[in-house]
Amino acid sequence: MTFQDVLIQQVINGVSLGAIYSLLALGFTMVYGIIELINFAHFNVFMVGSFIAMYILQALGLNGQNVILTGFSLVGVLVVALVGTMLLSGALGVLIERTALRPLRGVPGTAAMITTIGVSYILFNIVLLTIGADAFNFPNPMPTVRWGEAGVVLQLREVLVWVVAFLLMACLNYFVRRTKMGKAMQATAQDQEAARMMGVEVDRVVMITFFLGSALAGAAGLIFGLYYNYTNFAIGYTAGLRAFTAAVLGGIGNIPGAMLGGIIIGLIESLGGQLLEVRWTDVIIFSVLVLVLVFRPTGLFGRATAARS
Amino acid sequence: MVSPGTRTWSIGEALAAPFRRLSSDQQRWLILTLVVIGALVFPLIDRNEGDIDAAANATAFAVLALGLNIVVGLAGLLDLGYAAFFAIGAYFYGVTSSWQLHPEWSSFWEPFQWLGVVAHYQAMGENVVHFTLSFWIAMPLAALVAAFFGVLFGAPTLRLRGDYLAIVTLGFGEIVPIVVRNWPTLTNGAMGLNGVQAPSLFGYSFGVTSSPYYYLGVALIAFLIFVSSRLKESRVGRAWMAIREDEIAAGAMGVNRVKLKLLAFAIGAGFAGATGTFYVAKLQTATPDMFMFPVSVMILVMIVLGGMGSVYGVVLAAVILQLLQSWFLQDLSGWLHVLGRAVGNDWMQQIDLTQSIELIFGIILVLMMLYRRQGLIPATRATKALTLEQQTALPSRGTIDVDLRVVAPGELKPGTAMLEVEKLLKTFGGITAVKDVDLRVEPGSIVALIGPNGSGKTTLFNLITGMNAPDRGRISLLGEDITGLPSHLIVERGIARTFQNLRLFSNMTVLENILVGQHSHTKTGAVGAVLHTHAMLAEERETREHALEILSIFGNRLMPRLNQVAKELSYANRRRLEIARALASRPKILLLDEPTAGMNPAETIELAHQIKSLRGMGLTVFLIEHKLNVVNELADKILVLDHGEKIAEGTAEQVHAKPEVLEAYLGRKVAHA
Amino acid sequence: MLEFHDVDTYYGELHVLKRVNYDIKQGEIVCLLGGNASGKSTTMKTVLGLVKPRAGTVVYEGEPINNMPTAERVRRGIAPVPEARRLFPRMSVLENLEMGAFTRNDSNGIAEDLERVYQLFPRVKERLKQQAGTLSGGEQQMVAIGRALMARPRLLCMDEPSMGLSPAFVEQVFEIIQSINKQGTTIFVVEQNASMALSIAHRGFVLQTGEVVLSGTAKSLLENEMLKKTYLGEMEH
Repeated sequence: MTFQDVLIQQVINGVSLGAIYSLLALGFTMVYGIIELINFAHFNVFMVGSFIAMYILQALGLNGQNVILTGFSLVGVLVVALVGTMLLSGALGVLIERTALRPLRGVPGTAAMITTIGVSYILFNIVLLTIGADAFNFPNPMPTVRWGEAGVVLQLREVLVWVVAFLLMACLNYFVRRTKMGKAMQATAQDQEAARMMGVEVDRVVMITFFLGSALAGAAGLIFGLYYNYTNFAIGYTAGLRAFTAAVLGGIGNIPGAMLGGIIIGLIESLGGQLLEVRWTDVIIFSVLVLVLVFRPTGLFGRATAARS
Repeated sequence: MVSPGTRTWSIGEALAAPFRRLSSDQQRWLILTLVVIGALVFPLIDRNEGDIDAAANATAFAVLALGLNIVVGLAGLLDLGYAAFFAIGAYFYGVTSSWQLHPEWSSFWEPFQWLGVVAHYQAMGENVVHFTLSFWIAMPLAALVAAFFGVLFGAPTLRLRGDYLAIVTLGFGEIVPIVVRNWPTLTNGAMGLNGVQAPSLFGYSFGVTSSPYYYLGVALIAFLIFVSSRLKESRVGRAWMAIREDEIAAGAMGVNRVKLKLLAFAIGAGFAGATGTFYVAKLQTATPDMFMFPVSVMILVMIVLGGMGSVYGVVLAAVILQLLQSWFLQDLSGWLHVLGRAVGNDWMQQIDLTQSIELIFGIILVLMMLYRRQGLIPATRATKALTLEQQTALPSRGTIDVDLRVVAPGELKPGTAMLEVEKLLKTFGGITAVKDVDLRVEPGSIVALIGPNGSGKTTLFNLITGMNAPDRGRISLLGEDITGLPSHLIVERGIARTFQNLRLFSNMTVLENILVGQHSHTKTGAVGAVLHTHAMLAEERETREHALEILSIFGNRLMPRLNQVAKELSYANRRRLEIARALASRPKILLLDEPTAGMNPAETIELAHQIKSLRGMGLTVFLIEHKLNVVNELADKILVLDHGEKIAEGTAEQVHAKPEVLEAYLGRKVAHA
Repeated sequence: MLEFHDVDTYYGELHVLKRVNYDIKQGEIVCLLGGNASGKSTTMKTVLGLVKPRAGTVVYEGEPINNMPTAERVRRGIAPVPEARRLFPRMSVLENLEMGAFTRNDSNGIAEDLERVYQLFPRVKERLKQQAGTLSGGEQQMVAIGRALMARPRLLCMDEPSMGLSPAFVEQVFEIIQSINKQGTTIFVVEQNASMALSIAHRGFVLQTGEVVLSGTAKSLLENEMLKKTYLGEMEH
């Protein structure tokens, strides 16, 4: 294996990881864009989403990596799992918004942010106490298909991650830019009161934003499981901090920025892990976060959301 | 009719009656004394080592909560990685007082040996250094080291929205344990430090029993309560509160926001570092796992439960949570096991409620935020009220004897403008808000700036006072270039302002608002505030006197409402208070943005007279005003702005004669009709 | 068409509108005058339902609407031209106009109204793709009025339409207001530019510290001594 092969391989891995972070960063950045709230609960919605996905796949008769499907049945199972996971995760997001966050709308300061930390803790510990701290074998019906020789290998699971992430982001992009509700979201993000004056029901927009963001987090939970073949109560925290960084890197509130930021973080993680040592990955990512905040607080592609005016 | 409950009620009533007769101050002292006695005798009564040990641990977390309370509660900065500073302090002491590092002995170490920081260890063929830094020296040093890291990591975020601070501190809290784990030569990695030396005092070693640590912890709590309370009631504490209430207004009153936030961050981190020393000395070991995110959250939960900014609330919450964890949940689990055996329920026999403590933390955070954001014991007013005598000792009317002259007439070079603006330009997006404006305000004059809404008047004020930086041009005060200075330095130079839409510190009292107004010409720092130095006390006295002097300008409008919270004032009084707050900064020139907006004609006339009297007291005034009768009455010179351009300048008659002015105000058709 | 009966509105502790009464009849241009912080903008927000009165009733087309959400009010034909225009700065001009028709679903009607806006403001049509935040003040005002018209309003609420505009353009705006009114839309306009507003209005109200201190026909107000003194008089001598 030449050094070049290693690099290419790490880029493949990095983009796959990055796709997961992007999906996760999107929900975070969307909520921030609309109500300027850092939603710490988001990343445990992702964790819960991966368990939902696991249970759906198990309900479909899959267990571990024993059952291998191909063709339409594979696509069918994956679509059912994806749609089911997204709907249930989205519903969880809406539930959180309605019960814990809506009553705090308009309360100044850090109250809402602290609430999301509380919600995040509740989700985390409910899973820990009821399901346990084990790493669960995540059902994976995908056949092992590889392209390439000993040097650079591309596997089906990577292609799947790319395709799913790309399709979801394309759908989201279409939704935000082309549909009426998407326009209402943009308008609310830019000037909430003016949007209200146009007849936009802001509460509904916020609810839909939470639904979409959480659904994407759920989707990320599913592909995380398919990619790593496991899930665990603690996956939200590590992935969460990276998705945070991705969103800040892309400029909080900026949707395309979050997508790109996620990919960049994925690449930093895989290449950094290769060039340095894996155990320093978090330190590298955190340094990126601090450097971005110092030199480009609005993110690489950001707009001015930085200073409190 | 006597209801059955009356009897029991009256017993409680009878017991409480003597207590109720005490004044609220006396009640506070009584409760405090009882709590202190209780805390001191507790280890003597409860001789269970386990209980005392739990209590000693609890003191460490109470101290941490008090430290974080300075950051989150007083300064309003949400720090989610507080445990990192705790870790830094812990490892600082752990490494400097254990066998973790044992370099070869060389003469380099001799001076350190002389200082007692290291020992020379020679045995079994080894010839190495043994670090033996005394606990009592390590504690303040650890505080300094942690404070240094606090500043290092707080600094990049403090110019940004508070949310970013939460993210960065969270990341920092994550990184520190990772670094600790990945640096085994220094920290022994995941296995943790061992054999950390116990503190000793006057030759008595604390050893492994819990009582000495418990008393040390109680002493630390008392020290922190003392420090927090004194800080809260000082210039520094008021500036923190002002930042929390309205950052921009705080800057406009001369508060250096970056410096004060960093100060809060450093003090908070320092206390965490000191507590780390205490904690690791007690446990005589340290592992990275002891300082992870859940610890930061637990401390945050204590503050949220107790009440942000409430010193006693935070201690109470720390005690409650610790009792919950080490006593109540264990006992409850035990009872459930017994019950489970009795009814033959397996699940109940195995239940371990102590594991659900984090779930309870989460629930506490959510419930407190939804239903009781002020916490169990809400934070009290920081600034002591003036006594009735102090208030009535001053004249309630009479505006003449206040001297507002800051610049002695002799100091003024003839021909120097008080304020001079040259070719000032500012654009926002596609719109030019201020276009090549030139203006002069002569010392001792009142200049009015008029123009239609949206003509750039407020933007001009914002440029002069450093709220926005101009794209081009020059602003000078008494000949000194002040272009582009941050707002707090501009106040210091002598330009104070009010805001069109009122930016009072709404949850602070009238007096506190005015005290914050004096921030720029007072000096007390954190140390002075804690020590109550002579200079600090003198300054506090002086600022209060000055506050009353300023208030007397408004006769009896504000004086009787000294201790009222600003948001409870009438609209007109809020406007007056904003002017008073600006005056408190001892300005050379006062910028008033529509001072009479929202006032009725009588109030308007009263205020116009007061503004006029300000000039009599030696002040220069530059004001934006829409009410033309006020402008004509007051102004020595009128400037007219339209579309960001100065279209006229002169006396009332001169300005009114200009056709451009009529057009700007009335539209061409009407003007020419 | 729109009536306020003894309306009291508060912002937190602050009493902003004090037992205020207005009545606006179908087809009128009514202007609301007053200094800054007198309660003008709060009146507009009360009409739109962005703040709710603590006491009193707001009646629109014969029906009390105190608790009606803003969206429903817009659907029933109340459209705003907010103070300082408040366009969506990072959306294109066309998207801004489309936001005006947010509550409508009749795509044919919307297309018709777009054409009407283009006729009224040919400059706007030239800039459809441009981001609204990069337009000049005058252009933004045209887009803001166009955006309100896209709701096909029966009652147009304008908050300081002359703010920040050049005198020539102010006149143009007021001519446009008149022509919109002639096509049957009732107009409630808050203005600081009193004489200009009164020159096109049928009637007016004067607000001072949250109370209506004067009301009547535009003509009578123009001749009123008190008003002359505070808003008109001083400048004309």
